[in-house]
Amino acid sequence: MRRHDRRAPYAVALAAGALVVSACSSGGGGGGGGGDGKSEGPGEDKTVSANYSIGSAADAAGPAPELPGAKKGGTVTVLQRDAFNHLDPGQIYFSDVLTSQMLYNRSLTSYKIDEKGRVKVVGDLATDSGTSSDGGKTWKFTLKDGLKFEDGSPITSKDVRWGIERLYAPFETDGPLYIPQWLNGDGNAFRKALPDGPYQGKHLPSSVLDTPDDKTIVFHFQAPHADTPYATAMPNIGAVKAEKDGQRKYDNAPFSSGPYKVGSYKVGKSLTLVRNEHWDPKTDPIRHQYADRFEIGFGHQFADSTRRFLADQGGDKNALSFSNGVAPEMTEKVLGQQDTKARRLLEVQPYVDYISFNTTRLKDVKVRKALAYAMPNGQILQQNGGASAGVVATNYLSPAMDGYRPTDPYGKKDKPAGDPEKARALLKEAGKEGQEIVYAYANTDVQQKVSVVVTQALERAGFKVQKKEIDSNTWRTSISEVGNKFDIYRTSWGADWPVSSTVVPPLYDGRQIADGAQNYGHLDDPKVNAEIDRITRITDVKQAGAEWQKLADRILTDDVPGVPTFYNRLFSLWGSGLGGVKYHPVYGTVDPTGVFVK
Amino acid sequence: MLRFLLRRFLGAIVIVLLISAITFFLFFALPSEPALMSCGKNCTPDALAVINKNLGLDEPVPVQYWHYMTGIFTGRDFSVGHCPAPCLGYSFSNQQPVWDTIVDRFPTTLSIALGGAVVFLVVGVGIGMIAAAFRGTWIDKFFSSLSLIGNSLQIYFVGVVALAVFVSGLHWFDNPAYYPITEDPVKWFTGMIIPWLVLSIIFIANYSRMTRSQMIEQLAEDHVRTARAKGLGRRTVFFRYAWRGAMTPIVTLFGIDLGSLFGGAIVTEFTFSLHGLGRLAVSSVSETDLPTLMAVMLVACTAIVVANIVVDAAYAVIDPRVRLG
Repeated sequence: MRRHDRRAPYAVALAAGALVVSACSSGGGGGGGGGDGKSEGPGEDKTVSANYSIGSAADAAGPAPELPGAKKGGTVTVLQRDAFNHLDPGQIYFSDVLTSQMLYNRSLTSYKIDEKGRVKVVGDLATDSGTSSDGGKTWKFTLKDGLKFEDGSPITSKDVRWGIERLYAPFETDGPLYIPQWLNGDGNAFRKALPDGPYQGKHLPSSVLDTPDDKTIVFHFQAPHADTPYATAMPNIGAVKAEKDGQRKYDNAPFSSGPYKVGSYKVGKSLTLVRNEHWDPKTDPIRHQYADRFEIGFGHQFADSTRRFLADQGGDKNALSFSNGVAPEMTEKVLGQQDTKARRLLEVQPYVDYISFNTTRLKDVKVRKALAYAMPNGQILQQNGGASAGVVATNYLSPAMDGYRPTDPYGKKDKPAGDPEKARALLKEAGKEGQEIVYAYANTDVQQKVSVVVTQALERAGFKVQKKEIDSNTWRTSISEVGNKFDIYRTSWGADWPVSSTVVPPLYDGRQIADGAQNYGHLDDPKVNAEIDRITRITDVKQAGAEWQKLADRILTDDVPGVPTFYNRLFSLWGSGLGGVKYHPVYGTVDPTGVFVK
Repeated sequence: MLRFLLRRFLGAIVIVLLISAITFFLFFALPSEPALMSCGKNCTPDALAVINKNLGLDEPVPVQYWHYMTGIFTGRDFSVGHCPAPCLGYSFSNQQPVWDTIVDRFPTTLSIALGGAVVFLVVGVGIGMIAAAFRGTWIDKFFSSLSLIGNSLQIYFVGVVALAVFVSGLHWFDNPAYYPITEDPVKWFTGMIIPWLVLSIIFIANYSRMTRSQMIEQLAEDHVRTARAKGLGRRTVFFRYAWRGAMTPIVTLFGIDLGSLFGGAIVTEFTFSLHGLGRLAVSSVSETDLPTLMAVMLVACTAIVVANIVVDAAYAVIDPRVRLG
């Protein structure tokens, strides 16, 4: 359930940018991304289902293939805007931190991305992506040989059990909770099974989570879950050594199982990752250990990092950013500078921006359809940074999703500025000409600009718009209230993995309507709920992908609890001294696992 | 002098205590949910209660204040462990004692502020003196115009331009960065040059104008005319008689500007991606990290009060007419 936020600017003239809570995406090879507004990766106009697959045991075998021209040594500088909110893998959910944890943390499964951007879910700590039985309710994983923590001690199934059971502790509140919830119940109900986590010597019964030997982990879920290999790729489904688990303090001192370990960490300021000599490349099909160290610095605005990458001087030649995009005002300069061609990428991310319609207040579906037709997607995108910031959205699902099809029920490709005539006709048909719309938006520079184009477009279509500016710090809380007094508001969403089971249910399942939940349009359609249940039971993830797309389209055409506005993009630049930089389609960030200093 | 300093020191303690109390009661008595911000998005009532208890937020505010102030001298125990003295609280956002963060960030802000102050005092006062010495000439007009331009500039604008021109364009300087002076004094100096210059720009104009007008006023004073009549050299008259008299209001202005200097340092930190107390204060506000915010306020206030004592002492040294009683 990742969100894609645009953090409110701090007080001092800061540009708003994307803060992302986990994601999935279309494959796209990094490097050399086009500057012509067309994604180099399998982006918006391509069927991307072929990019995703579940890997075999052979795919899980290490080492990762050597990269041409790769060398060992050197320091990679990473310029990040936002400080990492967590290092504890149990608490990690934002995309920038998800990316960094790949360097020091390994999960049961993970994403193996080839040079063409194709994604395979493969065993990481595990020998494969898991074997299921009992109709998909039971999943078994076997650990590889030779796995070690940073102190050289072996990683066993007990450590994985500990890593999972600590998610039940009261302080573990920020990370994804799929596995605990599938094991012991939705919401926070699962915590009752182990209220203190493993810290008081108690454990989950073997009928729920079993470790019959040092190599085997068995999950007994309450219901079938075909996408378990994806869920076990979340960072918190890995190994934590009990003796090193400082509970809350683990957030500043995680114990590494990956190719790098924490050298020094100054919260909010910098993080240095150094080589972990006990990491064995033969056990790892995904990561390399080319650079000696990663020096990650926080507080670098997009303009600052872009300026430094462009100048490409001194230590900045070996600099990149996981998630800082090119500053919109510097896009032309980047595109115009020829030497950046080989060191930039432009890729569709798994995040979608929407304008949600409050179906509790806007009960007439014709009015909602009129709003959907009237919405000026192209202009909204323009205010967010234009082609380098995204692509006009045509349906609810991102091109980054397995099973995505470029359906366009409201003709947004042809009419990105909206279709006021059609909207007007629908309003007339509904007898709602001059319908008043309460439009809420966050008080940020970008959203203020967006509010202007949205208001103008809706008024052209015959609506009367009443704008409500909300403080950006309380905006998400305000729109998440079921009883909110707004008709339409901007929302956003990113899938946790490239299967729409992490998009459609949280956004459109009527049983998930609650304060703080993400069914922002308050859609509660029994037919939709039943369809969600049916698709959830499909054991073939590929088949489910196509079904989710059909359902998402049906919701968009029949229920209209909102309209998608644009698919987010990452336009990234890095220094000329680095090789092996690629795009991580699932996280929507730059993938550091193969980076080397030339 | 000693008695004067002692009196000022005791007064400073009272001021710091008052400010700490007002700030604490404002932060912790007003409706806010610091525990909620620390609790995360899947927060449970149990977790919230635990954090409230651990932070001592379940106690009456006066009791919290007492624990806070005594903790500075005796240390405190939190659920996550002991916070040794000087304990300024525990940040559940950063998962560490606040003091550790303050110790890490304070040198950066101190470097920016002190270095910037040295630059603007030297350059500002220098320009003012030159303009006064050449009053009415093109030199005076040139520097006066320059001051006017400087006065209308802002750090976030000049900073970005300076980075684009001097760092990215001409490569005269490295990217601004803070290195501890104890580890590498040369790097500390080179890393701070641009922030100092940019921060000083907004102050230079004020100081040059003030110095110019004070110097002109002093040069017209009777005692300066008497000194000239006695046949003293122009330089002696200028520096020993006029300049000394002109410095009194400059020092006063500097005392007033110490607060602004801290504010300027905040903008400078953001402009140059430096991590000092200013940035820490801003991020603490956005994260509702009250223990950290409280500590920043306390440290900043203490620093300003101490600096003002130093300024007062300097004032007394410069102008013997000031009676220290």
